[in-house]
Amino acid sequence: MKRTHIILLVLVAAAVTIIVSQFADFSTYETFASASKEPGKQYHVIGFLDNSKPFEYDPVKDPNHCTFYVKDKAGNLSKVVFNGAKPTDIEKSEQIVMTGTMQGDAFRCNKIQMKCPSKYQNDQVVIGNAS
Amino acid sequence: MEQVQFIGEHLAPGKLGHFFAILSFVMALFGTFTYWRAAATENKDLTSSRSWLLLGRNSFVIHSAATAGVFFTLFYIIQNHYFEYFYVWRHSDLSLSPKYLLSCFWEGQEGSFLLWSIWHCVLGLIVMFTAKGLESRVMTVISLVQVALASMLLGFYFGPDIKIGSDPFILLRTQMQDAPIFSQPNYLASIKDGKGLNILLQNYWMVIHPPILFLGFASTLIPFAYTIAAVWKGEYKQWLKPTLVWSLFCGGILGTGIMMGGAWAYESLTFGGYWAWDPVENASLVPWLLLVAALHTLVIFKATGRSFIITVILMSLTYLFVWYSTFLTRTGVLGDTSVHAFTDEGKALYWHLLVVLGILMIIAIGLLIYRWKGFPRVKTEEAINSREFWMFIGSFILLLSAFQISITTSIPVWSPLAKAITGKDVAPPADVVKHYNDIQVWVAIIITLLTASILYLRFKTSDNKTVLKRLGLTAGIAVVLSAVMAYTERIGDARYITLLFGCNYTIVGMIYYAIKVQKGQIKKLGAASTHFGFGVFILGVLFSSYNKEVMSINTMGIMMDFGKKNASENARESMENVLLYKNNPVVMGEYTATFLGDSTAENDPRIFYKVAYERRDTATKELKESFTLYPDAFVNAKGMEENSMSPNPDSKHYLTRDIFTYVTKAYDPKMKKDDTSQFKSHKVHEGDTVFTNDGYLIFAGLNPNVDANAYPHQPGDVAVSATVFAYNTNGITDTLHPIYYIRGQYAYQVTDTLKASNLYARLENIIPDDKAVELTIKQSSADDDYIVMKALIFPYINLVWLGVIIMSLGFFLAMVNRITKKEKEKAATA
Repeated sequence: MKRTHIILLVLVAAAVTIIVSQFADFSTYETFASASKEPGKQYHVIGFLDNSKPFEYDPVKDPNHCTFYVKDKAGNLSKVVFNGAKPTDIEKSEQIVMTGTMQGDAFRCNKIQMKCPSKYQNDQVVIGNAS
Repeated sequence: MEQVQFIGEHLAPGKLGHFFAILSFVMALFGTFTYWRAAATENKDLTSSRSWLLLGRNSFVIHSAATAGVFFTLFYIIQNHYFEYFYVWRHSDLSLSPKYLLSCFWEGQEGSFLLWSIWHCVLGLIVMFTAKGLESRVMTVISLVQVALASMLLGFYFGPDIKIGSDPFILLRTQMQDAPIFSQPNYLASIKDGKGLNILLQNYWMVIHPPILFLGFASTLIPFAYTIAAVWKGEYKQWLKPTLVWSLFCGGILGTGIMMGGAWAYESLTFGGYWAWDPVENASLVPWLLLVAALHTLVIFKATGRSFIITVILMSLTYLFVWYSTFLTRTGVLGDTSVHAFTDEGKALYWHLLVVLGILMIIAIGLLIYRWKGFPRVKTEEAINSREFWMFIGSFILLLSAFQISITTSIPVWSPLAKAITGKDVAPPADVVKHYNDIQVWVAIIITLLTASILYLRFKTSDNKTVLKRLGLTAGIAVVLSAVMAYTERIGDARYITLLFGCNYTIVGMIYYAIKVQKGQIKKLGAASTHFGFGVFILGVLFSSYNKEVMSINTMGIMMDFGKKNASENARESMENVLLYKNNPVVMGEYTATFLGDSTAENDPRIFYKVAYERRDTATKELKESFTLYPDAFVNAKGMEENSMSPNPDSKHYLTRDIFTYVTKAYDPKMKKDDTSQFKSHKVHEGDTVFTNDGYLIFAGLNPNVDANAYPHQPGDVAVSATVFAYNTNGITDTLHPIYYIRGQYAYQVTDTLKASNLYARLENIIPDDKAVELTIKQSSADDDYIVMKALIFPYINLVWLGVIIMSLGFFLAMVNRITKKEKEKAATA
């Protein structure tokens, strides 16, 4: 075996070890119920904004505090606290992905990603109005 | 079905455009076939091969003309606002300023494939005239890829479910057949305007970044096509130079394109930076890393005849990853993990791209196996003190780095498999940036350390003494520089100090190499300046991210656990937005920021928020500097929810740092009438704290000796005043003395105000049983305008841009050097 080959093997082995050990970083998608089993651990929760409940954001009181309600994929409703300004167009979102931890009765998240309805569906609404 | 005669439609351009699209596809197909025949008959029948070649050339020229025809037709209908076309209606509107008309191309999927295809045509025509002996084979590959791209624009249906490509000239009424409006002949009269261009794309970076990035993507085809051609022919001499030149071109353009995306993100997005390890960013970074690795192994092969196989593998991987990236970013498979909102383009594109990827993969792997035995190999071992040995290791590390990025980016692709095996629904890391940095910082360290060391070495073998002397000198200077920088920039983390040393080592090494070894000959400085630029770039990244500082720390409100190491980090995380009332200065770091009001400009849908910054000497209060920033936002723009906004940042650029400001929320003009600030009651004991908008108050106790002049004193009054200290982020600012007095049977209050903060404090009541008082606080008046904003400092961000520019220039310098060298040799043989 050539020296280069040995070094390659060592490098690949090291890389595999490192990459696999980094798998521990990967989070998982959970529901509110499963996230509350391990409070304090960061999870991703996918859910839908419950527009029937109020979205509380009063920048005058605290510009870094939003409270709202989200229904997760299992259908359970939970209060969500987001420390940040209100994400633009969140009412319009058809799905939101939150990263954070379950603490007591509320899911405290530090990151929100929204999936907004595709333009196409949006278009149809406008056409309906126009005709 | 009843035929309706529609009024006012312009159907001719659409028919012409669709004809061009089909012509372009057919000619690409024909070109592939004829070029392939030319290659196949090359050794048997030269005359016939020559005729096939001419046919191939003609088809590619016609194909290019047809592709340009599609491009100009599409541009024509966009420019004329023919909203009967779905593409025009969906991606543009009447208010769009002319400079953004081209941007409509890259908002839509068809337009961006078209742009990509156009660049292939341009590059293909250049290759046609320069490829010489490899022309037939290289052009076969290019034409084949053009078949794939042209098919994306076909829009052919095979049965109700199978659709190949998407026709950009489809009519609105065809796209939305079910809408009742299209049964009216004069439906166009009610469609007056289009949906408009995504506001994020209405930015000057978005005019320039996509064409450059697509040119970068398109140019990766050329080295790949040359490599396939060479392996196919089994002839590796002619292949070397053009592949090297094109790889250098590609490295420069793709790198520039990627970082232009970073500049766009920095200037118009609000995630506060130029790089976020977003999947879409990673998808373009991975091919670049692979290309750079391939470029280096190619240089090794040219100099020593080694590393041939890995070069072929890396070149193929680069191109396969370009298509894989397209697959990731265009099909919606990334779904929830990316902030770049490409919508789901449907199953058709998903399979289309997979088929293209599969065909390219089969060709690359097939040829590799077919020619495996005849590949050039060198039996002996390379010496440890040779340049090729370490360069190979560096390239391999780039490959591993690309794999790591790709594995995490591809989580949505492989997570269904992981779920089937482990039952866990894998999500991206909660802290994505940390996840990538944990590994990629080490990659950067290794690469920076290798860079200077390798250029000191020579191919085959080096004079150990000279090398060690130079290495020692470079390392010595770098250590001193790093120590000074680490001290002045307060960099304490061991990992980042190592990276700092790596950067300095590269920078010093490249300067030394340029002067001492290359004797400052401009033509030869390609490698030195590219690597120098890389060192500067990483240094800029290190400074601007390590010392990135949030100025707009809100010291109020609720503190929350973000899972950070300590309380102060949690606090910082939760309080990066600050509230500014109009004309009400708020201290932010060493600056005082004042929101002075908003304004709009004619023909500009944005609202500009005027924020004045002042810096005063802490002791003398003398004004040191002042400037005004105008962060802006699209408010209630078309297609947006009511009361929503899409902000754009504004920055004050200094040579050594940027002050970066954007508005996260503004007052709503409609809500203005509501009283947002009423007196709020707080029951406090001595020493208790009350939070305000821009600081906090501490109740220090009651004082029975009230100065008679402080209120309309009358004999017989019983008066006390409260001592309330007001703090802001810098410490104590003032003391308030609200007064409470009893005159006769009644209690009266005298409110004290703090003008600077618009703060009113009243001693409402005294509760002796509880040893407490009731303090009511009101801040600001009802008609105050406000904004919520975030301000960040990026130190030395200019190093990032400078590094990128030097790096790109280095690539082009190296490219020009390679081209001119070729001519010299040609002249020598002639």
